[in-house]
Amino acid sequence: MERLGLCLRNLRRHGWRTRIIMLIAFFGAFLTFVFENLVEDIAVKQSDMFARGFSGHFRVLDRDVETRNSFGHYYCEPADMLSPEQVASIQGFLATQPEVSGYEERIVFTGVLYGAQDEEHGFMAMAMDMDRFDRNFTDLYYAEGRPILGAESDACAASWYEYAEHKTVAVGSSYVMLLPSPDGGFVDRLVTVTGGIDYKSLPKESLGFGGMFFDLAAFRAMTGYRRAMATEVIGFLADARTEKRVLERIRTFLAAEHPELQVVSWRYYAPIFGEIVLGFSVALKFVEAVLLFICVLLVVKLTAFAIIERYGEIGTLRAIGFGRSDIVLLFTLEGFLAIAAGVAIGFAAGTVLIAVLHRTGIANSLTFFEYVIGKGFFPSFHPQKILQTAAAFLGVSVFAPFFPALAGGRLAIVRALERR
Amino acid sequence: MNGIQVTALSKNYQLGRTVVHALRDVSLEVDSGSFACIAGPSGSGKTTLLNLIGLVDEPTSGSIRIGEEDVRRLDDAARTRYRSRHLGFIFQSFNLLPVLTVFENVRLPLLLHRELPVREKQERVAELIEAVGLADHARHKPFELSGGQRQRVAIARALVTHPKLVLADEPTANLDSETGAEVLELMQRINRERHTTFVFSTHDPRIMERAGRIVRLRDGRVEA
Repeated sequence: MERLGLCLRNLRRHGWRTRIIMLIAFFGAFLTFVFENLVEDIAVKQSDMFARGFSGHFRVLDRDVETRNSFGHYYCEPADMLSPEQVASIQGFLATQPEVSGYEERIVFTGVLYGAQDEEHGFMAMAMDMDRFDRNFTDLYYAEGRPILGAESDACAASWYEYAEHKTVAVGSSYVMLLPSPDGGFVDRLVTVTGGIDYKSLPKESLGFGGMFFDLAAFRAMTGYRRAMATEVIGFLADARTEKRVLERIRTFLAAEHPELQVVSWRYYAPIFGEIVLGFSVALKFVEAVLLFICVLLVVKLTAFAIIERYGEIGTLRAIGFGRSDIVLLFTLEGFLAIAAGVAIGFAAGTVLIAVLHRTGIANSLTFFEYVIGKGFFPSFHPQKILQTAAAFLGVSVFAPFFPALAGGRLAIVRALERR
Repeated sequence: MNGIQVTALSKNYQLGRTVVHALRDVSLEVDSGSFACIAGPSGSGKTTLLNLIGLVDEPTSGSIRIGEEDVRRLDDAARTRYRSRHLGFIFQSFNLLPVLTVFENVRLPLLLHRELPVREKQERVAELIEAVGLADHARHKPFELSGGQRQRVAIARALVTHPKLVLADEPTANLDSETGAEVLELMQRINRERHTTFVFSTHDPRIMERAGRIVRLRDGRVEA
């Protein structure tokens, strides 16, 4: 306690120097604290949003189905479907995985759409539980259908013409589609578009008429599937960054229980989400690293100055019996206290900011950010990130002043006394 | 402790290509409890000799015995421990820590004496501050004191660990003659009352007169 008191007195003595160290530590700690928590939230938010907006983070499906299709979508036959028992078993396992935030069964198939002169156009379609699908972020259309009546075919041809000409798919427009039937053939159905994304910034031409979503139960009823069957089970992760370890666990489970099935990562989006989050994290880590480096540099420099200014004092202390380690401890403790005080204030300010943002939320109207993080963004605290940040600053607090302090401890007593 | 025994002590400094012989073959003895003065002009080697006896510097050759201990054999950690346990230092420029009060400056060496109860530490410090006549200034910082008062604080600090030997390097050099005499009188009184061995350096003949034993140095050698 007495040494601590001495250190505190010395800190006050170097008022401006102490304040500079504290200020740098404050800014570094504050920004790092806020960045780390925000990035974590954005990563999780992105993971959740993109997965639900598109197609989940992973798919459990028949091994043959996946290997037979190299373009990401496939023609589905009833024989490729998972049995209700398989679906229940997989869902039971996924329910035990803390990282898995949701899962559902889905039918994926290639439909055929008729245009003018009965021209056929292939498209990818999915039947799934539309209540769990985030329609705000899909670039696909969802639809409902029924058996076609003969007089409706002209209206369908007009819709297709409209799409082919203007690349627009109007809500309410109808198309004739060939859909897979339970007996392995096709049934023709009239499909009416009931909703879709309102593009603001993304050019529709680049996406085209990529696919269509159907409500799973309605699709079964429409095409004649009587049993609750699905071609695959898709799953969502609370955080896309956990994908590798979760998939490994699922693979182990499938190898033991359902060796005929396989789990695959969503081949397009998951790596992209991962890279977006990684890129964002790296950028912020770089900023944090620069702040930490400046902090270290200043602390080293200012501690070195303090030692040079107090050579005589070091000599006196050594003469009256203080050891080298006592001197090192004294100056390290001084630097540590200055940085720790700044860091504590920085963390406190960061805590207040995150708490306020958590309460009020971040509203944004910029299309890009809305697209990335959604309209309502409510940052929260992440203990692991806070601990990591605290550990980094603790390391800086101890090691930055330690090395100049070490030099102070090594001073020869006579030389230190002479340079008073 | 049977005083100090210095035998054939030499100290050379290397200044570039030049070797400076600060002390040459110095031998002397100082009895325990004595009030000894190392006298000589500037550059005669007084401070060097005190530094060597005080274990803050290492001789080039020769031996130093303090009491029964051959202190030249001690390693750095043992020398540090020895200084904190058995030696007291008084410097020409007082060397007080400006951030500490009189009380805290005097208590400073006791930071290293963890075996002492806090209460005993407090009592020792209070007693010494009283003994050097600064009881009313215990809470003052060094810059609030006169030169003589600062040196008295330094004396109290040197004595707080109850050392057998106090080394004072020109303790009156930065004081006017009257204050210097007072400080010396204080040191003498403590020497008489506590039987603490004092070895101090000076080049002032009036100060030398008060010493019980005088060792004269010139050009790094003891004068006959």
